[in-house]
Amino acid sequence: MTIEATPPAIELRHVARWYGNVVAVNDVSFGLGPGVTGLLGPNGAGKTTLLHMLAGFLAPSAGEVLILGRHPHRDPGVYRQIGLVPEREAVYPFLTGLDYVRFNARLQGLPDANRAALEAIRRVDLEDAMNRAIGTYSKGMRQRVKVAGALVHDPQVLLLDEPFNGMDPRQRIAMMDLLGQLADQGRTILFSSHILEEVERVGTQILVMVAGRLAASGDFHAIRALMTDRPHMITIRSSDDRKLATVLMADPAVFAVELTPAGCSVQTAQLGAFRRLIAGASRAAGVRITDVFSEDESLEKVFEYLVRR
Amino acid sequence: MKGSTQVASINAIPEIVRVTLRQLMGRRRTIWLLLLAALPVILALLFRAASQTEIEPFTRIVFDTIAITILMPLVAILFGSGAFGAEIDDGTIVYLLAKPVPRWMVVLAKAVAVITVSIALSGTSMALAGAIELAPLGQDGVKAAEAQVLAIVVGSVCYASLFLAVSLFTRRALVIGVGYMLVWEGALSFMLPGIANLSIRQYALGAANAIYTLPVQESRLSADTAFILSGVLVAASLSLAVWRLMRFELPGGSD
Repeated sequence: MTIEATPPAIELRHVARWYGNVVAVNDVSFGLGPGVTGLLGPNGAGKTTLLHMLAGFLAPSAGEVLILGRHPHRDPGVYRQIGLVPEREAVYPFLTGLDYVRFNARLQGLPDANRAALEAIRRVDLEDAMNRAIGTYSKGMRQRVKVAGALVHDPQVLLLDEPFNGMDPRQRIAMMDLLGQLADQGRTILFSSHILEEVERVGTQILVMVAGRLAASGDFHAIRALMTDRPHMITIRSSDDRKLATVLMADPAVFAVELTPAGCSVQTAQLGAFRRLIAGASRAAGVRITDVFSEDESLEKVFEYLVRR
Repeated sequence: MKGSTQVASINAIPEIVRVTLRQLMGRRRTIWLLLLAALPVILALLFRAASQTEIEPFTRIVFDTIAITILMPLVAILFGSGAFGAEIDDGTIVYLLAKPVPRWMVVLAKAVAVITVSIALSGTSMALAGAIELAPLGQDGVKAAEAQVLAIVVGSVCYASLFLAVSLFTRRALVIGVGYMLVWEGALSFMLPGIANLSIRQYALGAANAIYTLPVQESRLSADTAFILSGVLVAASLSLAVWRLMRFELPGGSD
């Protein structure tokens, strides 16, 4: 499926990658143009494998990966147009932040590496610490210096694997704003995350991966609505589960009730209305609620629902 | 535009060398290697204090038993296997490879770094030891000292290149290197004279023959043969490393 009609900067055509009998990415196709796209999925969904293929560090077992019309695997020249922020935290600890970004600039062959490095460091707001060894940096600062290293040559395509890991809320907002600015300047940015709220704030388009497959792609809000409308399963423990079940079943917000050893298991599509309902229902039934918990609120459950759709 | 790109790529070599040197020298094990490298110098001082006048005892004990059997291979294997190995282990290899730098330049830069640091440690140690003990023994002493340094240099280049390449194929390059040093070079090459053509130790000893025939019993190759075989080994190792690096794949992540 193609998200942008213009020739895509990033294109995958029926891409698969397997390790022995394990399929990490399965028949994934999409195209991305300028803008920020969030690659969303639970841990183990295949996001990093996909980003490694886009970055040229893994060959697809089947299908075709194209960055600006070039196959990134075994083509170092393509890195003039790619900026990469890997998930792993390690950065040369003995280099200062400025040394590291300048090192990136020089390997990119920039004519004025020092100036480009200073500009990239300014963009990630790391000037105060740029002369300190990276080994003394906090996790969030290491993330920012990695981003500076990836930005220093002004790449057309930016690939970021869990870029907000370790950042405090203020740093996250600043980084999200920076990604937004870069996208506004016409760059194609793909970042992975397993946190819905991160994607919600920065990604206008999203790709949802589950178990190696592309479960959904397109406008964030449309997919978010799908996620919100799905049935929720809630378990309630009370002084009399059977009595409570009878009262709950009468409400239109509830479309299934089951008595289980864990308690009264309820399915509802209207989570907000159901939360308001519980208090009144327990009073009407004359039972005391001891515990309410959601069985399917993990992101994995949300994604599984999208796959079934 | 293409010309400026080429120049920029060439400029990448000293950058990679510089960072690799800092990486290698900053590791804790380098301190232990420095202490090991001090041993030949300390022994040379003891020989001088004892007023030894023969080349043979120093060559047999310091050069043959310590420098060329333990110090030189260990230093070169540790640095050779660590230059790529450590970066692959901690993931920093990504920062090097996600750049528009031809892979042969990356390998060349890494090789220059590991060879430089290996020779700096083992070669300097042997040069100092030779200057202290052998040089005062006259013309033959000077030649013997030069021959020993040449042997260390040739051996360091061979070992460092070979294990630089091995580290791109396996994460156990260090174990393989130490195994090779102990089993192949330490035992089999003594018992099986026929494998001299496959022994880095023999290449190093053979190269020394270009300057001086050192009083070591088991030197089995002529200088010419040793230089040719060393060249073949280094060229093959670095070519293999380039081939491997071009096909390098990151291990699959948790995702």
